Amino acid sequence: MQSSQRWARVAVVVMVTTATLAVGQTRKEFRFTVEPRSNISVTNRYGSISVKPAAGNQVVVTATLQSGKVEVDHNQSGNRIELVSHLLPGATAENSRVDYELTVPADASVSLQSTTGPLHAEGLSGDVVAEGAAANVDVRDVSNAHVHIKTLNGPITLTNINDGHVEITSVSGEVFLNDVNGPFVDVNSSSGAIHYDGDFGFGGEYILRSYSGNILATAPVYASIDVIARSVKGQVENDFPLHPKTHSSFPIDTMRSLVGTAGKAASSVKLLSFSGKIHLKKR
Amino acid sequence: MNCAEFQRVLAEIIDGGGSAEQESHLESCSTCSSLVSDLKAISGQARALQASEEPSPRVWQAIDRTLQQWQSDLDYIAEQARTLQATEEPSPRVWNSLEIALRQEGLIRQPQRARSVVSFFERWRMAWLVPVAATLLVAGVILSQRGDQGGTQIAVRPQSPPSQSTSTNDDQQVLEAVASRTPAARDTYAANLRNVNAYIHDAEQSVQADPNDEEAQQYLMSAYEQKAMIYDMALDRSLP
Repeated sequence: MQSSQRWARVAVVVMVTTATLAVGQTRKEFRFTVEPRSNISVTNRYGSISVKPAAGNQVVVTATLQSGKVEVDHNQSGNRIELVSHLLPGATAENSRVDYELTVPADASVSLQSTTGPLHAEGLSGDVVAEGAAANVDVRDVSNAHVHIKTLNGPITLTNINDGHVEITSVSGEVFLNDVNGPFVDVNSSSGAIHYDGDFGFGGEYILRSYSGNILATAPVYASIDVIARSVKGQVENDFPLHPKTHSSFPIDTMRSLVGTAGKAASSVKLLSFSGKIHLKKR
Repeated sequence: MNCAEFQRVLAEIIDGGGSAEQESHLESCSTCSSLVSDLKAISGQARALQASEEPSPRVWQAIDRTLQQWQSDLDYIAEQARTLQATEEPSPRVWNSLEIALRQEGLIRQPQRARSVVSFFERWRMAWLVPVAATLLVAGVILSQRGDQGGTQIAVRPQSPPSQSTSTNDDQQVLEAVASRTPAARDTYAANLRNVNAYIHDAEQSVQADPNDEEAQQYLMSAYEQKAMIYDMALDRSLP
């Protein structure tokens, strides 16, 4: 009996707390009709942005505003939609948070900015641009598109990107690329580690470059690659079956560099680090 | 004329038509007739493709003009920067404080800039100017250090790279701008700037050790690209 009373009290406290927190929150919905290949830009100072595909020609935006210290400015010019979190006097990182959820036509291009994130986009065939200092960025199931990501220390995960033109710059955020392929994949990191797990496609150029972050590339044995791996001060390890190349543009130091090919050497793979460790692995 | 003899002169027939004897064979032989028809179709398609894919001279001229315009823009920016420095332009802190005061008074609001994915890409593209400019500076120093050692003389005006103290001052101003807006983020930016400065330092040393090392030059450009990105985010240029 005492136990059930205690649980009842806890439930009441939880409900009151939730209600108190929710008092300042506002939920707003915006709908826009667009033509094919629309452009949607969301600029948020604090809070998440999530984009998912939907059938039809509607862009539906649901914004949850933390308080009255922030408002959402929205504008449609032709096929271009802009949403901006507009901070009002007295706004702080805590009370000016806005969480956006968007459903867009799959062919839409999206540009997402948030200092804190997280940023998420999936199932699109239009370009994805995401930028956030500390934002956790997650992009998945994108094909035939540009994917450009910038973070300061936010981790970046790209999954199942096909035929992508991928450019990633992060200073200290870790970068994870899972099944990412395309004509051009470029990752530029300073201290963040870079993890690539995939087959490097067929005929692309892959450049994974870090200053002090480690680089780990894992590929299946059927991968068709022409590999150059070189660390100026770090180690290079390989347990992928490569055919050695007889000619190289730089002197080969087996501890710090590696050149070789596999299959028809269709894709160029450059793993470059200044002082990080590089490891090429067989999946 | 048999098929073998006909097919030996096939190219001439495709290009310019055939003799009476060849025409006669063509009329009587369905195999050769079909072959000529296919080859003519392929040849026509190839010509059409070439005509549609090859950019016209105007396109090349436009690209050339754009490149020249960029060069002149860069020269202009450099000149303006020198003039600005000479006239003791107030520091960004002053402008920042002024902006904050005006905003608090409600005299100005955040500007609503037109933004698009295209403009994003364009800004990113221009961000490359920072590492490129940095590389040119480093290359200028290296060339000036090499002095009269011979070799090709490149028309780069000898300039000094930004000193360590200049860079530190810039970093401090950026960090103050971050702290004025989001105090909690200052340490994060400071740590990342230290990281990138170490990257730049090591990359510069590599370039100086071997000015012909393309990989070292790439590292240096990547490092400056990262620093440009940090400044961009810190100063919130990309946010309205």
